[in-house]
Amino acid sequence: MLRRLRSIAIGSAGLAAVVGALLCATPLAAQSSAAPLETTDETGRHVAIPQPVRRIVSLAPSITETLYALGAQDRLVGVTDYSDYPSEAKQKPNIGGSINPNLEQLVALKPDLVVATRALNRRETVDALARLGFAVYATDERTVEGVLVSTERLADVIGAHERGAELVAGLRQRLAELKRTLEGRAPRRVLFVVWHDPLISIGRETFLADALRWAGAESVVNSSQDWPRLSLEEVVRLQPEYLVFADSHAEQGALNFEALRERPGWRNLDAVRAKRIAIISDAVNRPCPRLVDAIEQLARQLHPEAFADKQAAPAECASCAR
Amino acid sequence: MRPVTLRRVLWTCSALAAVLLVVVVLALKLGAVPISVTDLALSLGRVAIGRSDQLPSEYSVIVFGLRWPRILLGILVGAALSVAGTGFQALLRNPLADPYVLGVSSGAALGAIISLIASPQFPLVTPLAAFLGAALTIAAVYLLGQREGQLDSGTLLLAGIISASFLSAVIMFLMTTLAGRDLRGMAFWLMGDLSTPLPAGLRWILLAGLLGAVAAIYTTAADLNLLIAGEREALHLGVDVTRVKLVVYISASVLTGLAVSVSGAIGYVGLLVPHVMRLLFGSDHRLLIPTAALGGAIAVVLADTLARTIVAPTELPVGAMTAMAGAPFFIYLLRRRLP
Repeated sequence: MLRRLRSIAIGSAGLAAVVGALLCATPLAAQSSAAPLETTDETGRHVAIPQPVRRIVSLAPSITETLYALGAQDRLVGVTDYSDYPSEAKQKPNIGGSINPNLEQLVALKPDLVVATRALNRRETVDALARLGFAVYATDERTVEGVLVSTERLADVIGAHERGAELVAGLRQRLAELKRTLEGRAPRRVLFVVWHDPLISIGRETFLADALRWAGAESVVNSSQDWPRLSLEEVVRLQPEYLVFADSHAEQGALNFEALRERPGWRNLDAVRAKRIAIISDAVNRPCPRLVDAIEQLARQLHPEAFADKQAAPAECASCAR
Repeated sequence: MRPVTLRRVLWTCSALAAVLLVVVVLALKLGAVPISVTDLALSLGRVAIGRSDQLPSEYSVIVFGLRWPRILLGILVGAALSVAGTGFQALLRNPLADPYVLGVSSGAALGAIISLIASPQFPLVTPLAAFLGAALTIAAVYLLGQREGQLDSGTLLLAGIISASFLSAVIMFLMTTLAGRDLRGMAFWLMGDLSTPLPAGLRWILLAGLLGAVAAIYTTAADLNLLIAGEREALHLGVDVTRVKLVVYISASVLTGLAVSVSGAIGYVGLLVPHVMRLLFGSDHRLLIPTAALGGAIAVVLADTLARTIVAPTELPVGAMTAMAGAPFFIYLLRRRLP
């Protein structure tokens, strides 16, 4: 009995000692910098960003695009998967997926600012990086206006205020112009197809729903979920006027419209029979400045008569047109 | 079989601790960013003499900020799952029992998910909810696994499998209907994932719960040896069967709940490790419980190191690694038991 008790005591003490000794993790030295910019990001986190920002890691393709649009490409030292626009971005060091970026590689890139977006990155990733002493700025775009504000704020954070103001002023002007052109036209009832098999569309809270409104359309789906999975039956019942697809050149298994027309369910849709299908740049999926290009493209396809007296698509859109 | 003495327990545990140390050093060295042995030795040396400020900062962040917490988590989770498996195997007198196989991990995951949906602002509630999920599941599996009043091995396993698939379906339902944008990482976590460092508070809860539950199970070690032979036999030999079963039941559920709440469902550790330890050191629980704890730590740290490195820079979930090793082993055990 005594032996047993002793063995228990020593056994657990030994285990405690081993684990306890291993548990004393070393806290990390904070990076020193002169007068950091104290700000609150769009998810309400307090961030101190060292100034000037010299090395930026982007955790999402949309952030990568925005940084390029702000002329910060030389300071961009790392990106995540699918950062394919502009095509130079593919040459940047890749640190894995947005949902599970490789934190070791991120650390090795020695960024003084990491930019994340709430739409794509995990809160855990942001918190983990913040605990390691990195300045992480997270954006949260839920409307087209939100994308513009977000772009301006990011520009300020990286010290590109003028470039950002200029860029956003241009985008606002284009949107205002578009609004004038579409004035008085009834919105088209559309189904935005995020993915066709299984069928996934958009919820009312997404920036995509707002982008549709700008393009003179409204989603037939009114879901509180951001990415609702729909049954084809429901779509047949709703009978949208147009189907809207984002063209994805890069993805394998991209949609074949001819094949879709043969499929049961799809072929029962008026929009499919009448070939009322709008295909727009996949930029529409990204809350970044190029979103405005995609909105204009969509508006032209849905309301061709409104643009009858206008010349062809604006020059900015040449690169993203099919 | 040699008798289990204190001396033998200490020697065996020291040997396993030494193996664990080697694995930990290996895990500190290997990763997506190459760090040479010299740099690692210098880093460790400088930290040891309290001059960590002289390290190049990215090495110190990678080694001590990323790899080290992850290794710690692996040690704690591995020990917890392995001891939980040992406990369930003794409690149910079934060598195929394991938190994952019995659906207990799924129950804990469901508890954790419900708490994350209901009260995302209190992350420290998650381990408690996971424990409740684990405890309820094992109770249900235990009741379902009876046949004519007797615990039947095959029925028990089927009950576990059915519970696991039912609970997974409920999880899928909750994730599809309720999941807001902040539950995005769930699919990852469900596969078993150690990549997210813990908040400090949770780390201490995990350590305290782990040590308490392992110690509690250890107090029943000698009784478990008798219980394996049969409940009636144990009762005749003076074992307070009800108390022993209750202690093991609660402790093993606590261990599973803690492990799942921080790392998701890492499968087969609780099956594989206790068996290997039995093969190596015999089936006396006084030796089996501590060696299973250390062995589980070794197994999970090793599996996680592989998961981090074999397809770097992409990381596999550690659960995929343990399942790849564990599932064939489960089949081997199952075949060996069948006539």
